[in-house]
Amino acid sequence: MLPCQRSGKRKKGSFVEKTLSGGADLLRQVVFSDEVAGRPGLLQRADPRAKLVGMLLLLVAASLAHNVGTLAAMYLGTLALAAACSVPVGFFVKRVWVFIPVFTLVIMVPATLSVVTPGHVVVVLWHSGPKPEGLSSQGLTSALLVTCRVAVSVSLVVLVTLTTPWARLLGALRAVGVPRMFVLVIGMAYRYVFLLASSVTEMYESRKARTLRPERHDRAARRFVSSTAGALFAKSAYLSEEVHQAMVSRGYRGDPKPLRAFHFTRGDLVFTASALALAAAGVGCDRLIGR
Amino acid sequence: MPDDVLAPSNAAGPVCGSAAPRALGEPLFVCRELSFSYLGRFPALEKVSLEVLLGERLALLGANGCGKSTLLKVLDGLLFPTSGTVDAFGSPLTEDNLEDEQYSRAFRSRVGFVFQNSDAQVFSSTVEEEVAFGCLQLGLGPAEAGDRVADVLGMLGITKLAGRSPFQLSGGEKKRVAIASVLVMNPEVLLFDEPTAGLDPRTQQWLAELLVELNRAGKTVVLATHDLDLVGDVARRCVVLGEDHGVVASGPPAGVLADRALMLGANLVR
Repeated sequence: MLPCQRSGKRKKGSFVEKTLSGGADLLRQVVFSDEVAGRPGLLQRADPRAKLVGMLLLLVAASLAHNVGTLAAMYLGTLALAAACSVPVGFFVKRVWVFIPVFTLVIMVPATLSVVTPGHVVVVLWHSGPKPEGLSSQGLTSALLVTCRVAVSVSLVVLVTLTTPWARLLGALRAVGVPRMFVLVIGMAYRYVFLLASSVTEMYESRKARTLRPERHDRAARRFVSSTAGALFAKSAYLSEEVHQAMVSRGYRGDPKPLRAFHFTRGDLVFTASALALAAAGVGCDRLIGR
Repeated sequence: MPDDVLAPSNAAGPVCGSAAPRALGEPLFVCRELSFSYLGRFPALEKVSLEVLLGERLALLGANGCGKSTLLKVLDGLLFPTSGTVDAFGSPLTEDNLEDEQYSRAFRSRVGFVFQNSDAQVFSSTVEEEVAFGCLQLGLGPAEAGDRVADVLGMLGITKLAGRSPFQLSGGEKKRVAIASVLVMNPEVLLFDEPTAGLDPRTQQWLAELLVELNRAGKTVVLATHDLDLVGDVARRCVVLGEDHGVVASGPPAGVLADRALMLGANLVR
């Protein structure tokens, strides 16, 4: 038997380990989001349907704005709103800017080049004959505009999701006309994704607990992922059958019924009207300033 | 329970029981020569005959894989026998009958099933919605369902969980929510599949006391388990299923649990 002491050799975690720890972080964030949704704040007080409608109006305004200044003002507005909703601004900014590169980088990097967006070359990268090619000022402006637009849009969506409990958000989707079955499926997917994620974590941990010698990580990890996927599929199929039986057992016949019907109050009307006014003001100012 | 739910939908249609009160000890479920196999190849029940009587506390005892859970699902009209018959409340419990809206509603409002896996049963976004699910499906209005939910959550001491998401609950809390989601429908018969599995000793004790209390309140309780302590504490009658998926014994717990040869044969002691 080996002596229980350090040998000095260490191994790095595989991509599976990193993915799983990322999943655990996500779960912690979701729990934190629920806590934020319960804090006193401006958006927390509003009806989720009014928030959804307001968000859609402001998203339309952001997509119609063509001036970086307008979009920057809107973005600052979302930061102020986050502060008014007891959302930690640092956390909010981090949450929003995590998504931005994913949405914009792939599309915008080619668009900054003069070969894609012709214009005045500000950074020369190569020469095509006598003509300098590189980053064009027009391309950079377009990239900045899209980045600002995405930042405002993601900020609005994140604000609404952070300040609304998931169940109420689903209820609001149902109330604004999203098909009931679609909402039920999203709700159950959200409910069970954590259960299945914890199953994967347990499977990985049980494998790790039985791993005695170092392996070539990524190859072993790929093998683990492919074998786990099959087992997890069988597990989720069995679980879905049991969930359906549990629903049928309590009288489900294909038509889920909501517990609460929403009632639109005067306050919600004022909220929606304010969102409409802000959206109109944003678009109006943008038109006045020009590009 | 409203009488209109129990009234037949038409003269020729299936009827689940009658609105007239039944006598204690009257059979609610009658299974005759019941067999069931998964995919037609893996037998789970072999010629099982048994009765579930009104007001009794019945334990289905057996080792893992002997067919206890399958039998409960057959009694709840979730699985249908490959051969043999089941009568519930005086009428055949068949897939065809359960397709009738009125029969289905009457049957589902009378029989509640607490699954072994609480994660399968607790599927809604919040505890409150979960507990209200059955009432709403059976046609109660949101106001009445809300009142019932508040009552049941209070009765089980989980009012503070009402707004929580199921993934934030512990195993014991999930079990309480699963039980609440069934009790809220006020069924006559309660089927419990391995109710104490995975619970800490205090929650097990709470559950055993709850089962006895529910029975005293007039509920018929059927539980499938291999927890012999629970059987001793709760059951008044045991039906032992053998590893050949058939009934090997039936009787009062004292006699059944004392029969060491029987218990060894059924793989319930070592």
